Amino acid sequence: MINFEEELRKFHPSLEIEEAEEAIYNQDLTDVADVLVGMIKEAKTEEEQG
Amino acid sequence: MRCYNCGCRLSEKDFCTNCGADVSRYKKIMFASNRLYNDGLEKAKIRDLSGAIVSLRQSLKFNKNNIEARNLLGLVYFEMGEAVAALSEWVISKNLRAAKNIADDYISMIQENPGRLDSINQTIKKYNQALGYCQQASLDLAIIQLKKVLSLNPKFIRAHQLLALIYISMEDWEKAKKELQKCVKVDMNNTTTLRYMKEADDALEIAEEAKNGGKKKKQEDILQYQNGNETIIQPLNPREPLGVSTIISIVIGIVIGLCVACFLILPAQIQSAKASVKEQLVTIGNESDAKSITINDLQQNVQTLTEENDSLKAEVQNYVGTDGIIAADDILLQAVYLYFTNPSDVVPIADLVESIDTNLISTSASEAFLNLYNSLKATIGPSVSQKYYDAGYTAYQNGQYADAITNLTKAVAYSPEDVESLYNLGNAYRKNGDTAKAIETYQLLVDTFPDSARATKAKNFITSLGN
Repeated sequence: MINFEEELRKFHPSLEIEEAEEAIYNQDLTDVADVLVGMIKEAKTEEEQG
Repeated sequence: MRCYNCGCRLSEKDFCTNCGADVSRYKKIMFASNRLYNDGLEKAKIRDLSGAIVSLRQSLKFNKNNIEARNLLGLVYFEMGEAVAALSEWVISKNLRAAKNIADDYISMIQENPGRLDSINQTIKKYNQALGYCQQASLDLAIIQLKKVLSLNPKFIRAHQLLALIYISMEDWEKAKKELQKCVKVDMNNTTTLRYMKEADDALEIAEEAKNGGKKKKQEDILQYQNGNETIIQPLNPREPLGVSTIISIVIGIVIGLCVACFLILPAQIQSAKASVKEQLVTIGNESDAKSITINDLQQNVQTLTEENDSLKAEVQNYVGTDGIIAADDILLQAVYLYFTNPSDVVPIADLVESIDTNLISTSASEAFLNLYNSLKATIGPSVSQKYYDAGYTAYQNGQYADAITNLTKAVAYSPEDVESLYNLGNAYRKNGDTAKAIETYQLLVDTFPDSARATKAKNFITSLGN
């Protein structure tokens, strides 16, 4: 049985067009490729220091 | 695919042929991103938009530079009515790859149509308002607002779902199901939609069972079957209507139609036509009034200009006419010329000077004219006065008093300080019988030269003439 109040909480207000710019800036664009490249660079640095 | 280290194009090897970096894991990540993109594309093609979103977001988690995945994600969002999310993805995509990017076209398509942009914004605002009404338990207002939202954007999944949820809460299962079916047409595999759909279907089934419990017999007369999501109910033995009753129904229908046309539609149209004519008449009347006002203004302007023209003409006439200032200029110049030619012959000069209208001099003459006029008059004054005095005195002695008055008057005019001229003029008036003028002239003498010997005589004459 669906609970109306509970379901209603799952609906959130839509972003308005004026707020789009902020949403774009706040988006986390880090991907797995970035993480991998970072790890490789870190490993290299450690190797050079060791 | 390019090397993460030097940007060089990668070969089938597991290392970069340019810088030697190990790219085996990097390549796997890129392949995973591409696989997820393909998966998202397949799902989008069969309208599993929710599934496509999941795959495409994962694809972008592996490789944020997967432009195709990002553009498709934007497109899927847009199809579901999430315009801002779509625009965000397209803007990021355009920033990652400025040239040869279809996201540019998508953004332009929205930005170059202000009406559409405004419609999108209105949709979002109304949806948020409807959500607010739901939270305040104003479900009727929320339904009205959501219907407006869906008329602006019929593919807005969240609005359909919210409306369906409201109908479910009101136990209006049929309407809820209708909304959810619209959702399924846009996004066939949305978990929320399917969950609500199941709830609505279950409720409808229970209601149907309860309804059909006591009506088994009636149900035997109908054929019921399922066609996709719709239940088709068809009567088994439909009764054909009788021929006469059909004809009567048609005739009654026609009569009712004619009555409606005559009594409802026609008067309304006549009323509308009258109103239109009235409106036109008012418009024409207003235009006519405006034109009348303009004509009056123009007529007043014409009258003013005519008056100005007449005034200017009169002024010009004053300057150029026979009695005008230009003519007076000519006379004065001629008099000056005569004076320079023969200064001793003052009579013709005096005639010319006297022919100039003194009224004109006082009203219209320039300063230069006045200076020259007065200077010439002062120069020739004594000689002219003497000549007139001599002529006047001779006429007086000869008993020609009228001539004497004329010449002595001129002599006085040229030499007002000459007491003899004034005295003899008074005598001439007296002898000529003009007592009033004689007394006036004697009085002028007494007033001007009170200490002179002629003044005593003049006083005596005034006394004797007064008696």
